[in-house]
Amino acid sequence: MPVEPLKNQNTPKLFAHVNRDIWIIIPAYNEENIIGDVLKDLFSRGLKLVVIDDGSTDRTYEIAQAILKDNPGRGYLYKHPINRGLGATLKTGIEACLAKGADIMVTFDADGQHNPDDILPVCQPIIDGQADVVIGVRDFNDMPRVKRVSNQLMNIITGIFYGAHVKDSQSGLRAFNRKAALALDVVSREYGISSEIIREIKHKELKMEEVPIETIYTEYALAKGTNLKVGIKILVKMIRDILR
Amino acid sequence: MMLMLYQYIGIVIGIIGIIYTFIRFRDSKMSPGMLILWSIIWIVLIVLSIFPETTGYFANLTGIGRGLDVILILGLIGCYYLIFRIYNMIENIEEEITLLVREIALEKANSRKNENTLPEEDE
Repeated sequence: MPVEPLKNQNTPKLFAHVNRDIWIIIPAYNEENIIGDVLKDLFSRGLKLVVIDDGSTDRTYEIAQAILKDNPGRGYLYKHPINRGLGATLKTGIEACLAKGADIMVTFDADGQHNPDDILPVCQPIIDGQADVVIGVRDFNDMPRVKRVSNQLMNIITGIFYGAHVKDSQSGLRAFNRKAALALDVVSREYGISSEIIREIKHKELKMEEVPIETIYTEYALAKGTNLKVGIKILVKMIRDILR
Repeated sequence: MMLMLYQYIGIVIGIIGIIYTFIRFRDSKMSPGMLILWSIIWIVLIVLSIFPETTGYFANLTGIGRGLDVILILGLIGCYYLIFRIYNMIENIEEEITLLVREIALEKANSRKNENTLPEEDE
């Protein structure tokens, strides 16, 4: 099935022809500047959203709440009373989706770095039954130098520690089918979750596909996500997990 | 037998340590295992303060030159061990907090009357 239908249109029910229950998981921490636009865009495509506010100290929760109110029955909002990190937030999101009977779950960053047009291509291998998990692969050439180096480093580290070699281990846009979501056994609370998911794909022998996606690097998104400091933290964590 | 000042200090610290350990245990803030471990540590400190020569025996045993060095090295290793334990303890607590936070987030959403409407303001 071609991916084309998604392009060049903004009509609601864009996903109506996809006869699967797709849910978008949006982990959000202090994203008041952009989360509104991201959520509106996703709703306009007829998608169902699970938003998890990870203890934001700004107006992220209120903004998400207002937008979800305008789209009754299509979005659910959860709030961590205190900030617990990306890993914990994704786990909450996946658990919530599973409880709602979701068929396909897509993790989607709230900072606006993903293009919603990429959601369907990322789901396609699952819809076609070719994969349990799909990782959206960013083009490293598009990245600013620091990002590129730290992402490459994380790929190498993930390869060394978990024996899993993937093109983009730290990508925030991924899709899981129900089987994969149930199989994931991850403990990482922070950004280490991304590498851990890769490990689980390998250990649980889930079928994985890698699909190229676009990355929108705004000034805003640049200040967030995996940087060198976070990378070092993840490395320390991995060493510890092995020693334990 | 004439005691040096450091020996008095060692004995006093050991006794204070034991008292503190027992109080912690009495108040149920310490497990029996830790009570025994800490009691041994403090008693060893007192014994070594009174009979510093005994360290010489350990020094010969381990091949480390002087008795005091043995104590210092053991002390350092002991410290690292405790830091490691504390680190793991904090890690476990963090994990438990995360578990709670996630449960609360999911529970709160579940307890809302109408699933399709959004929650009233919490504050």
